[in-house]
Amino acid sequence: MTQTPSFSRRHLLAGAAALGGGLLLPGKAPAIGGTKPFVGTTLNVSTFNAPFARILTKWLPEFEDATGAKVVYDTPSFPVYNQRADLELSTGGASYDVLNITFIYSSRWINAGWFTPLDDYIRDANQTPADWAADWDVEDFLPGLRASESDRSGRLYGIPWTVDTFVAGASRFDLFKAAGIGLPDTTDDLVTALKAVHGKERVAGFVTDNHYGWTFVPFLQAFGGNVFRNPPDDLTPTLDTPEAAAAAEYFARLLKEFGPNGVLSYTEDQALQALQAGRANYTAIGQTYLSQVGAAHSKTAATVAYGPVVRGPAGRFPGVATHGLGIPAASKNKDAAWAFIQWALSKKNTRRAIVEERYASPTRRTDFASAEFKQIATLNGYDLAEIIASSVDLAARQGHMKYRTVPVYPQVDQQLNKAIANIASGQLSAREALAQAQANSITELKRAGVAI
Amino acid sequence: MTFFNLTGASLGWEHSRRRAYLAGLLPALVVLGAITLLPALFLLAVSLTPLSLVKPGTAFDFSDPLGNYRELLWDGRFHNSVLLQLHLSTVSVALQLAVGLGVALLLNVRSRFFEAIRAAFLIPMVLPPIVVALIWKILYTPDVSPLYRVLDSVGLPVDSLITDPALAIWAIGVAETWQWFPFTMLMVLATLQLIPDDPLEAARIDGANRWQVFRHITLAYLRPALVVCGLFRLIDSFKAFPLIYVLTNGGPGSATEVTNFYGFIEAFNFSYWGYASAIAVIMLLGVFAVSWLVGRLGWNEVHHD
Repeated sequence: MTQTPSFSRRHLLAGAAALGGGLLLPGKAPAIGGTKPFVGTTLNVSTFNAPFARILTKWLPEFEDATGAKVVYDTPSFPVYNQRADLELSTGGASYDVLNITFIYSSRWINAGWFTPLDDYIRDANQTPADWAADWDVEDFLPGLRASESDRSGRLYGIPWTVDTFVAGASRFDLFKAAGIGLPDTTDDLVTALKAVHGKERVAGFVTDNHYGWTFVPFLQAFGGNVFRNPPDDLTPTLDTPEAAAAAEYFARLLKEFGPNGVLSYTEDQALQALQAGRANYTAIGQTYLSQVGAAHSKTAATVAYGPVVRGPAGRFPGVATHGLGIPAASKNKDAAWAFIQWALSKKNTRRAIVEERYASPTRRTDFASAEFKQIATLNGYDLAEIIASSVDLAARQGHMKYRTVPVYPQVDQQLNKAIANIASGQLSAREALAQAQANSITELKRAGVAI
Repeated sequence: MTFFNLTGASLGWEHSRRRAYLAGLLPALVVLGAITLLPALFLLAVSLTPLSLVKPGTAFDFSDPLGNYRELLWDGRFHNSVLLQLHLSTVSVALQLAVGLGVALLLNVRSRFFEAIRAAFLIPMVLPPIVVALIWKILYTPDVSPLYRVLDSVGLPVDSLITDPALAIWAIGVAETWQWFPFTMLMVLATLQLIPDDPLEAARIDGANRWQVFRHITLAYLRPALVVCGLFRLIDSFKAFPLIYVLTNGGPGSATEVTNFYGFIEAFNFSYWGYASAIAVIMLLGVFAVSWLVGRLGWNEVHHD
């Protein structure tokens, strides 16, 4: 808590709440009592480019009018953001006051002490006044999402602003129907269905992006395998098991036999475009992308179908990733940063994002349950909100996402990317590729100081 | 007396002249040292530490200065990246020289039309590398590429080049050639303008055919320019990054993970800055070795025999 502004945030925030969402009305943002507590403060914020970031950018003048702070909001692409933030945080830089805590880096960034614990800010009535806290209510954010923004002792470092949940979808479900097939429920059903629809009307049966450390793992777990033996306590890689080999062989087959030409080079955007244009049919990817297949501008909005990801011999394991707003430990404007996070993720603003901007990735329980979200998340008759909510609950119950928030996951993530590409491109067999990935992962983990 | 006076005066003048030259050069040398030598020395120093940004204590740990270099000796991924780098550099530089030379010979005509064409050929070279990468990403992506569509429509469908482990490195080489052949073309065109007419006419009078004139006279004049082009492009080819980042991201598998890209991954994905610096130092030494070798072989000297 580095600043002691002349006028307490308590008054600002309480006043804002009392005004019944004055901040929500463009051009009417209040300068409480004529005092703007952060005049002269420049707040540097960065998250990767995403719908919610674009919404906040649009609303920034309201926060600036209310507080007097000037906000510089930087939104590079996902990989560029992660590299830049990792470098900035690891060198103790104070260039940013609010940063996204990326799911895959959350443990690494939080446990290295690079972010500020938020519990004190939440408890401090001067920082989060009781009347404001009632509106803000940190408990309203889904517990499963808050868990990945916390350290082992339960201290909270980031407030979730988006959740990406694996959902299955068929952009040309009419081809499934024509073949007399429903949306696949099991891994075996999926192969049967793809055999029936692949190539029909020049539509590839299956597509996914080439971040296999993300897209392959639900299949790996469905076949009974996992990335580590018992994350986060035992990080011995388990990539060379028979279950992993079976899953990799299965997944590579989907790419090779049913993927579009060049599928190994597909990024998330390319996969989405192929689905929207009707060039590819079935996929299992995050709902932030897949929901756009049902958007009005998509050519396949009228033929898309949604369902949960397929289950394998070991069950169903939808991937769930969340990202949160946090304050870097080296920030020199922590109070203003906290005010920004409260404003950005206030109940009013998260609901407003759904109502006004059709935001499809809420993180609050009340937003999930709202009629407004149900309405926008019902696409072509399918209740996406229900699929997402049940997948998030399933992930929280099974704890199968623990593999992903360990500090060394980026190293293993890359080994999985290479292994699947090696198998699908015919360079190595599944067993060879995974044995190589296992050996390389162990080397990398030992190098990172992990006891194996 | 006069002799000694003159010599003394001469030495004094020489000394003053040298001092004046040095004073003139000094600012440039200071700037050069600050922006080139200091970072290079810093790179070398970092390569002697196990610096990992996740462990700040490793920044000044010089207890095992050759640790990174020893590790590189046993790093199969690094060895593979060096072989791929040599493959890519050889392919792309050879193609750039061949295409650049061929196009320059075709355009070596004095006419406004050909001057306009020359200017058009320069466009790839002045485009930002990331734009070049995006152009080729579109060309190499079968479902949006006009090339693939044409081939598909005439019944000759082709598998994606950038996802074929045997062809991906060639695909990058072709894209790099498209961007950089104009450099060779420009240099060769400039040299062609300087070739005197006399030896060419003499050779023709002596009965030499076109090929013999080109082989024994034109090429002899062009050789130093081609060597300089080759050297420049070879050095630059070690820095190939945007094309690989956008087109293949080092894949499929490790099929296009050249040394430069591997160093990037070690530094920016895993935060092993000491190790990545050691990779960069090895690359630097490699470039120096190639430059020295070319100088020793004398390929860049003019021989009019």
